[in-house]
Amino acid sequence: MKAAGTALTLRVLLLAQMRQQPARLLIMLAVIAIGVSLGTAVFIVNATALNEFTQATKRLVGEADVIIRGPPRGFSESLYPKLSANSAVAIASPVLEIQAAVPGRQSPLKIIGLDVFRAAQLQPALLGDLTGDIRRMFSPRGVFLSARAAQELSRKPGDTLTVIVGSDPVALEVLGILSIARYSQAVGLMDIASAQWTFRQLGQLNRIDLRLQAGVDAHGFSAQLARDLPQGVLAIAPEVERDRAVTITRAYRVNLNMLALVSLFTSAFLVFSIQSLSMLRRRASIALLRALGVTRLQLQRGLLAEAVVIGSLGSAVGVLMGIALATAVVHLLSGDFGNGQLQVSAGGGPLLDPWSLFAAFLVGTVVACVGAWFPAREAAARNPARGLKAGDSEIIIPPRRLLLPGAALIALGICLVILPPQRGLPIAGYAAIAALLFGTILWVPRYTEAVLSLWPRTNRVALDIALAQLNGSRGTMFLSLAPIIVSFSLMVSMSIMVHSFRDSFDAWLGKLLPADLQMRLPPGNDTASWSDDEQRSIAALQDIERTDFRRTLPLYLRADREPATLIARDMRAQPTQDILPMVASDANVDPQRAVWISEAAQDKFEFRLGQPLTLPIAGATHRFVVAGIWRDYARANGALVIPRQRYIDLSGDKSANEGAIWIRPGADAARVQQAIRTRFSTANALEMMRSSEVRERSLAVFDRAFAVTYALEALAVLIGLAGISVAASFTAIARRAEFGMLRHIGLTRGQVMQMLATEGIATAVLGTLYGLALGLVLSLVLIFVINRQSFNWSIDLSIPALQLVAFAAALIAAAAATAILSGRAALTEDALRSVREDW
Amino acid sequence: MAVPDAPIVCIEALTKRFRAEGPAVLEGLHLRLARGEYLAVMGESGVGKSTLLNLLAGLDRPDSGRVMLGGTDITRLSDDEMTLLRRGSIGFVFQAFHVLPYLTLFQNTSLPLELLGVRDPELSQRTMQMLAAVGLTDRAHCYPRELSGGEMQRVAIARALVHRPALVLADEPTGNLDPGSAAQILALLREQLRENGSSAILITHSRSAADSADRIVMLTGRSFLHIEPILHSTA
Amino acid sequence: MLKVVLRLSACLCAILAIDAALATVAPADASAAAVVRGYPLNFPRDYGAHNEFRTEWWYITGWLHTRNGAKLGFQVTFFRSRTSPDLIAGNPSAFAPTQILIAHCALSDPTHGRLRQAQRIARAGLGVAYASEADTQVSIDRWQLQRTSERYIARVQGENFSLQLTMLPTQPPLLNGDRGFSQKSPLPRSASYYYSVPHLQVAGTVEREGAPELVTGEAWLDHEWSSEYLDADASGWDWIGMNFDDGSALMAFRIRAKDGAQHWAAATLRDGQGNTRVLNAEEIRFTPLRHWRSQRTGISYPVEWRVRAGPVEFELQPLLEDQENDTRATTGAIYWEGAVTATRAGHSIGRGYLELTGYGEALKLR
Repeated sequence: MKAAGTALTLRVLLLAQMRQQPARLLIMLAVIAIGVSLGTAVFIVNATALNEFTQATKRLVGEADVIIRGPPRGFSESLYPKLSANSAVAIASPVLEIQAAVPGRQSPLKIIGLDVFRAAQLQPALLGDLTGDIRRMFSPRGVFLSARAAQELSRKPGDTLTVIVGSDPVALEVLGILSIARYSQAVGLMDIASAQWTFRQLGQLNRIDLRLQAGVDAHGFSAQLARDLPQGVLAIAPEVERDRAVTITRAYRVNLNMLALVSLFTSAFLVFSIQSLSMLRRRASIALLRALGVTRLQLQRGLLAEAVVIGSLGSAVGVLMGIALATAVVHLLSGDFGNGQLQVSAGGGPLLDPWSLFAAFLVGTVVACVGAWFPAREAAARNPARGLKAGDSEIIIPPRRLLLPGAALIALGICLVILPPQRGLPIAGYAAIAALLFGTILWVPRYTEAVLSLWPRTNRVALDIALAQLNGSRGTMFLSLAPIIVSFSLMVSMSIMVHSFRDSFDAWLGKLLPADLQMRLPPGNDTASWSDDEQRSIAALQDIERTDFRRTLPLYLRADREPATLIARDMRAQPTQDILPMVASDANVDPQRAVWISEAAQDKFEFRLGQPLTLPIAGATHRFVVAGIWRDYARANGALVIPRQRYIDLSGDKSANEGAIWIRPGADAARVQQAIRTRFSTANALEMMRSSEVRERSLAVFDRAFAVTYALEALAVLIGLAGISVAASFTAIARRAEFGMLRHIGLTRGQVMQMLATEGIATAVLGTLYGLALGLVLSLVLIFVINRQSFNWSIDLSIPALQLVAFAAALIAAAAATAILSGRAALTEDALRSVREDW
Repeated sequence: MAVPDAPIVCIEALTKRFRAEGPAVLEGLHLRLARGEYLAVMGESGVGKSTLLNLLAGLDRPDSGRVMLGGTDITRLSDDEMTLLRRGSIGFVFQAFHVLPYLTLFQNTSLPLELLGVRDPELSQRTMQMLAAVGLTDRAHCYPRELSGGEMQRVAIARALVHRPALVLADEPTGNLDPGSAAQILALLREQLRENGSSAILITHSRSAADSADRIVMLTGRSFLHIEPILHSTA
Repeated sequence: MLKVVLRLSACLCAILAIDAALATVAPADASAAAVVRGYPLNFPRDYGAHNEFRTEWWYITGWLHTRNGAKLGFQVTFFRSRTSPDLIAGNPSAFAPTQILIAHCALSDPTHGRLRQAQRIARAGLGVAYASEADTQVSIDRWQLQRTSERYIARVQGENFSLQLTMLPTQPPLLNGDRGFSQKSPLPRSASYYYSVPHLQVAGTVEREGAPELVTGEAWLDHEWSSEYLDADASGWDWIGMNFDDGSALMAFRIRAKDGAQHWAAATLRDGQGNTRVLNAEEIRFTPLRHWRSQRTGISYPVEWRVRAGPVEFELQPLLEDQENDTRATTGAIYWEGAVTATRAGHSIGRGYLELTGYGEALKLR
């Protein structure tokens, strides 16, 4: 019998909802569907890309127990027989990994030189395609390309692939294509002997994979081995390599996921609002059911069941939309959400894990239930006798009772802000945002009460009635305000964060690009460089005033971290603030010993200002002192700058791979560029741009990367606007009788409209102001906590005032328009009839 | 109800205030209603007629005194217990009809039976019987928007009696009707009460409506329950 | 060409793991040394590797007895393959794959019911893998075959078994063919330098599933090198190396043509007194007596034979029927190779190894 009550309640109330408020039902469904679809799509694309990435790294790492890694220049190959002979080692596989500069390609092509006979035992998956072709692989200028590399480079077997070694082009023959199933990233495979010879690294290896004898403890072995390894060579656990994808993109993924969560969050608020309002609309039906013998619990269960129905329908649609969206992204864009760190190959197709999809479905349903929970409880607690009477269409929200829980949440939020990152992620920061958001929302009723009491009487009928109406319907107002405040404040905070980031990024570019021209070889490549002579010949060109050549190379500092970037550049200019975007510096450090580290290096390697440290350079360790910390938006794994002269003294390496060029005033930049290009046979691999151009391009890339953010923000605000329109149309319908009466007693149509517009604008202004203030607070958390913790770089606060004013104005206009439109709909109904209508 | 021989309604020293320290709306009321009896309660607006009805239905709680329904003191019941009692034993007719616009007449009428867990075919049979009794058989599957006020109230009467409750509470059932429809509705209500053997309390401020009851009481001003002789007009 | 060599040569059957891997043959290597009649084998130099020839192997087969009398067959092979210098193109890298070394080991264990196998492959260089030119010194990682102070020492380690054997020659090397020049087909070009060391006296340790056992026994060593081996008409190969109880020894092989007929055959017989006789094709007859069909592959192998080689005639019975090498999972090659007993009139007269290749091809034709 109890079940009969719940089921009946569900049926009757859902029917009431469908018949009376189909639009609102649809909005709720849509809102949940959008939230869920965004979350699902973000999740699927991430998971797909990540899966490819980890699969690829897994194939590369294979079944190794320990990986020995050195700097790209490598270590002596004599380590290989030594390790082979070690009684704890079952198989040692020598590898030379090269990031080869390819003319016309922005990023280098990774070429793995390996001994197939060894690799076959450790990375069988990688070599599957080669059986039958092993002898051919011995061809000293032959390379096998992965399907992706072949596609990116448009090469087929038999074609020639040119790589730059030093300043010289070297032609390689494409021997074959490795199927996409084997290796989905762009990579080339060569025989290790060929690789050593081709890339002028005879006698050198930079990686050895080890499989240990059964029963040998890899950890202990690594620790013991570490003592015997040359400087700058590390024994790395394969997990570190396998997890690389996860670490590289984790912060970024968290941000995307958070954006999806924001839309879900706003959805929950909107469901709350719509359900609260629909309880009012259905109050007579609910009261009748109670009078006829439906218990409180049955009513509450019925209402929750309704939320489950709506939530699961919306979520199901959302999951399907999410799959469609993800498929589109994966197939059309080969996509990475504009970030560039994650890449999905076109061949793969999205990774659909039924459990994750079910989880997304569940999240959507739960969000709907959470949103519906409070209104359902409210409705169940209500006295049915009152509901059966006419009137009683107001929600009572006691403002002062919410102040304390609100304050508690805000206090919690402030405490969470102080917490350090959890496993490198700003979990506490996000929790702080949620707490602050909820806490301040609870203060909204008190805020509206206070503001409205200050509002002066105008002695204009329409305005005064509007004010009185707002004062009398603060509950409803709260419901329309909550979603818009949530979405608007989040949007404001994101805008401020992105704008601040863009400003800081721009300023950083300015510091980094002081010269007229920038030239560089594909970043991250190990093979191409300019010799000392070449550098000098450029400096000697007639229209060139000054040059600043740099050497960058990876620096392995810790076995459990990605390599940092070592930048050797001229640091003689004083103060160093002028040439590096310093955030802190110590002037007392001996310039000969100085190293300037980026914020990421500071965080990841736990270096401090003034701290002495040793760096492995050219196979030996050397002492340095941290003389400054600078801001770097380019190298997420950390960068360390040392004076170039010191680097040359230590390594004897005078080559360079980046350069800044100042042109004599009045000289033609294009002609200078041409003159430089003609100096190089490798002209194709050389990237040369005017600094202004680099800056424009970088900012374009920046904007593209944040396009998704903007799109998600816009969606959140749309959802918020839906909240306002739902509330407005509710009030309009509920107040048909009032409008009729006002018309009867002699208000003109225009005055009624004016009244409605006033109400709409007043509500929107209240919400916008509050949202702005809250958004500003949240942006501080985003910038100084979440951003700092997830990306390891700092940003200066910069408020996009104009943009925010425009947003706010648009929002207020939209809210007013919505209010007027709903009012007009209500006014077209027969005024007389609406007076008579009872409920 | 629980005790067969007890009066169907027994109110003792019933007092109700709207605010804790405010003036009493009802104070020290006593009332008895025998089984099968049809009582009209008259009174001016604001005298507390509807409050009395809400207290009888367990939709509101008195500040003091007892309300016994069929021997059960409902002031001691929990909300759920009261709800279940209401479900099985009370039928309602409202001034505003409260016929759900998105349900057909059949669905509106069968609601109490559904709540009691009655299944088809019994559910259909009893609902159709009831609709026939109020003369709406051929419109069973219409929606309320096609009905006049009088017809709407017929549906309400059918709904109030379909589960054969011991007590029907009618709050100004003719308040929104023209005199002709009102007379028809009152006659129908009386007839159907007889038919089902239900007791009823009719709240009204109309003397002509009150005259359809077996007995009329006047709720005046405050605490005083004034009983007038019956002016019985037979149907 | 190398493919055919790899597929058919009894000795090279061991190399299945990389059979297909090396199958795509380098362009005909004109720089490889040719096998010529009349070259006098010169020891100990010719115990060592001959890097200028395309292929070479040291191939040991034999019988072992555990202390409680259980019988085992074993086979340990080291193989060298030269890469064409054209392919190497003068690459000075220490990793330049001028010589590829491969090792294979199989243990026939009646209690296990089938073979236990393991293999190794590596490019020679950096001391990780090498084949000495001075004497028999071949090594891949910790797999080794060494000839020191007149003894051969073999060490191999598989996943669930390992062998560590010392083998003492009791007789001088037996030069096959014309003083070590062994022709493989009617064409004079396809030939090898080939000597055997029969009646090696074995002592050592066999470890199975982590349990070491002392063993003794008798083995046979083949050392053969060549640049051009079989001709294209050959489809399969039957080979035996027998140590007879009276101290005599017999190496015999026949190469089958595609129609199954005997394409070429040769044998070397040395009696207990040390008199060696080289037999020609007409004096050799291999007659299959009983076939065994592999459940795994469906291939039928003649596992019992009557063999006549000049003056001697005997029958062969396998130690166990299932001595099939099935490596389809890696390369697709399937052959039978195992320990056999020689009997005459029902009495055991010696023990040795039988190798049967090319029977799977027939299956494909069907």
